[in-house]
Amino acid sequence: MNRYINLYLLEYSINSLLRQKYKNIFITTILTFLIFILSSMFFITSSIKNELQYSVESLPEITVQKLISGKHYDIEVSRVDEILSITGVNDVTARVWGYYYFVNAGVNFTLVGIEQFEKQYKNSLQNLVDATKNFDESNAYVGQGVKEIMSKNYFKEYFNFILPDGSLKKIDIGGTFKSDTNLESNDVIVLSKENMRSIYGMSDEYATDIVVKVANPDEVVTVAAKIKLLYPDTRVITKNDLKVSYQNIFDYKSGVFLALFIVSLFTFFIIVFDKSSGLSSSERKEIGVLKAIGWSLDDVLKEKFYEGALISIFAYLLGIFLALGFVYGLGAPLLRDIFSGYSELKVAFELPFVFDIQTMVLVFFLSVPIYIASIIIPSWRVATMDADEVMR
Amino acid sequence: MLNKKAKLSIYTFVFLIMALVVEYLYLDKTKAVSKSQIEAKKEFVSLLGLPDLAISTEATFIRHRSLSSTFEIYKDDGILREYFPSSFIIMNAKNGNIK
Repeated sequence: MNRYINLYLLEYSINSLLRQKYKNIFITTILTFLIFILSSMFFITSSIKNELQYSVESLPEITVQKLISGKHYDIEVSRVDEILSITGVNDVTARVWGYYYFVNAGVNFTLVGIEQFEKQYKNSLQNLVDATKNFDESNAYVGQGVKEIMSKNYFKEYFNFILPDGSLKKIDIGGTFKSDTNLESNDVIVLSKENMRSIYGMSDEYATDIVVKVANPDEVVTVAAKIKLLYPDTRVITKNDLKVSYQNIFDYKSGVFLALFIVSLFTFFIIVFDKSSGLSSSERKEIGVLKAIGWSLDDVLKEKFYEGALISIFAYLLGIFLALGFVYGLGAPLLRDIFSGYSELKVAFELPFVFDIQTMVLVFFLSVPIYIASIIIPSWRVATMDADEVMR
Repeated sequence: MLNKKAKLSIYTFVFLIMALVVEYLYLDKTKAVSKSQIEAKKEFVSLLGLPDLAISTEATFIRHRSLSSTFEIYKDDGILREYFPSSFIIMNAKNGNIK
């Protein structure tokens, strides 16, 4: 221990810091706050990123949509058989899904129709739902957020959907999705396809889009190209396109945070520059006295290094500690609104805890060494002078 | 060896490090995603096939970036490029929705 850390110097540094108590407490507070804000932002983004990565692999490989004049239109169900005949295609499903605007609360629900007689769907649903009634295909299964909004509007047992012709369709609520899937299922209502078609006023020959599963990932691009050739009026979206668009979001968001980061850093640099351009006369005097009573340049710099390290590492640890508590413990009370938008249908912001070592290291190297340098450089300038020159 | 103030400062440091470790362990135990949760998420997404999280429902696409809501402000971009700033960054007015 003594070989690496000189305890006498450490003691001197601590006492030297405590002599200028208020100045150092102020610097520590500012530095802690900076580290706290930045790491909170980064923790939230890394959690969302992870959340998306869990699920992106289980998406269908290809989504086929019909476009007319650049707008999305319903696609013919008859195309399913044609697409199924393409080599390499495993499974093709015509999906009926969309958004339903609930005027009373001003929110968009996401309605998803599933095949009534597909066993796998039924099993999946039963696994994921906390059922309140017997499992019945004519019921609706809703996310937690939807359940809360409906309850607020006195729809506890059933919900009245307004059909395109203005009439009402009453559908019982069969259960809510488990909170494990909250970030994915919050605004979702799962119904049978028949109910969906009547709510949207769609005929049996049409669907919202067609999803294609391809067994071999290497063949996805080829299959997508073939579908595009077969139906020139479609937009073919592969899973890879979605991944790229996620990458874009995170690059974009990281860019915004980086801009914030640079502004904070710039402020920090100004403080550092201000400090490094000169020491106060009392600080210069202190170094002069130390040199006069026989301290070497090495000792002075070591002592100053301890001072800088103590403050910056303390601020760093405290900042990270507070950020973890703020984001994962309290659910990021103020920052949450930035991420979840103005929508009424707010997800209960339970972000999964991800220990993002990269962020920690990034924040560490942008704060600690810079602060230490800002302490050492001016001290070195003074400490290289003669003692009498400094004290004069 | 060390005077009282120095000792106290060092103890504060050690306490902070220990608190950080305890916090990490606590969060890892309570807030981290378990294998069963990941499985549930995967099963749910494969059931629905909707890629986006239900976090920012004011984006034009809401749940699938290729299908916009009827409240869209811009025409959607054919190559699915993210351009909608408020999907994550800007907080809109509380009364942005038509009541």
